[in-house]
Amino acid sequence: MPYLFILPCVLFCLILLLYPVIYSLTLSFRQATVDTFVSGDMPFNGLTQYQAALADPVFWRAVIDTVLFAFFSILFQFSIGFLLALLFQANFPLKNVCLALLLIPWVSPVLTAANIFKGLFNEAGPINQIGHLIGLGPIPWLANPAYAFPATIVANIWIGFPFNFILLYAGMRSIPPDVYEAARIDGAHYWQRVAKITLPMLKPVSVAVLMLGTIYTVKVFDLVWIMTGGGPANATHLLSTYAYQVGFSLLNFGEAAAIATLMVLLVLLLNLVQLLLRRA
Amino acid sequence: MNPFEALSRWWITAAAVVITAILLSPFYWVLLGSFMTPAELFATHIVLIPTHWAVGNWSEAWTRLWPHVRNSLIVSAATSIGTLLFTAPTAYSVNWLKPRGRQALFSFMLVTQMLPAIVFVIPLFIVFSKINLVNTLFGLILADMTFTIPFALIMLSAYMKDLPYELVEAALVDGASQLRAFFMVVLPVTLPGLITVGIFSFLIPWGDLIFALSLITEGGLQPLTLELYKAVGQYGIDWAFLLPGSVLTAIPAVLFVIGASRFILAGVTRGAIK
Repeated sequence: MPYLFILPCVLFCLILLLYPVIYSLTLSFRQATVDTFVSGDMPFNGLTQYQAALADPVFWRAVIDTVLFAFFSILFQFSIGFLLALLFQANFPLKNVCLALLLIPWVSPVLTAANIFKGLFNEAGPINQIGHLIGLGPIPWLANPAYAFPATIVANIWIGFPFNFILLYAGMRSIPPDVYEAARIDGAHYWQRVAKITLPMLKPVSVAVLMLGTIYTVKVFDLVWIMTGGGPANATHLLSTYAYQVGFSLLNFGEAAAIATLMVLLVLLLNLVQLLLRRA
Repeated sequence: MNPFEALSRWWITAAAVVITAILLSPFYWVLLGSFMTPAELFATHIVLIPTHWAVGNWSEAWTRLWPHVRNSLIVSAATSIGTLLFTAPTAYSVNWLKPRGRQALFSFMLVTQMLPAIVFVIPLFIVFSKINLVNTLFGLILADMTFTIPFALIMLSAYMKDLPYELVEAALVDGASQLRAFFMVVLPVTLPGLITVGIFSFLIPWGDLIFALSLITEGGLQPLTLELYKAVGQYGIDWAFLLPGSVLTAIPAVLFVIGASRFILAGVTRGAIK
């Protein structure tokens, strides 16, 4: 009986999860382009796809941008989430309403957020309209690579802060109040209590939040694909959008699969770095 | 712990409301902007309230989007139900009936959460092309389930762990089969968890772009997100269509958050903290 209960799920996993993962890995060692895809035989050609990806400057730019994108997104998502979580430790009227509303950016489809920020950062959009009030000229946010990349990060921070907020909020709630009370009686100020009690006792939750944040942020695709499409001039690609472009626009599935494998290695590496930083 | 012990709770309320309003201001813009003409939307000076409510934006967007809304509803509902059918018995069995290999299954699910979508998109596109599942809603549902199943199993497992197993044992002692006990006891008791996971398994395909973009090229089968994605770029951006459409896309999520924020909160924090 135990096996009957898990059988459908196991079959699904084997056919639609494990098989594609193995397929993707083997594809990265094959020449899979338009010609070979149509004829059906995708010949093995070793590390050629990996060499092609690693020799491409756009790939390296995408690697650096993926890391920067993850770093700044998580830095701000976590900070905003942490401060909100602190504020919401107090009980006040409308708290549950505010809490529910603050979840909306995170549960809404990414497409909605992407289109909103495409509008906000439009050359004639609200951000420049407000800039105009204080005498700034219009800035072509999404047309200029130097601005387009930070603009996508701002949008991603907005999408991700609620997730950090609710997890840190729940983590803080599970700290027993008498610990704070004891510190307060001993004369610790509010921020001293935050630094000496909240932060250390929240560490397991923070670690989980940061790890999940890293995994989710490296995977971001829709947001950047809709906001900039990796452009202008391939300047705002993340590895996800670059791999997609190589696969579905340039129809080089072998190289796209190789980039996908390299992405997985990057996620592992980033989590390893975090682990080492925590140990140190 | 109250951060501002000296301040009254009314001040804290005011602060929280103002901060919430600021953080949600992008929604204010898209919501009111969906009733503006492009000229008003992108005027030199910011317009906070539309001077003439352009209700036509909405009716035109709705006419154009309805067939795609229907596609999205079909795909999301089927993905959600399918996901629960596959994962509910598994989450129960893995936690209480202890089949061999459950650790491997669970670890594999965790690992797939780390993999970027592109790892699945390319193989599914190639394989589905060969077996004629490209340009079918069924193919898109299967693809979306590769997102929802690992996530749902991990989340449901946390709920199943809290199941009071004595209830199941009592039913077994009374002569019920495992299967009967599962339907009559396990499912009703874990209903809040099933609802939460069901909601998320609906919202994930509802917002999906990458699978629809890769697997559905036939206009009539395209879900809502894809129709809106296509509205950008070809002939500039049609904001009078894009903004109401973007709001429309967010409606299920907003409804679920307002109706079930307690469930969502419990579900998300459970999975990550345990």
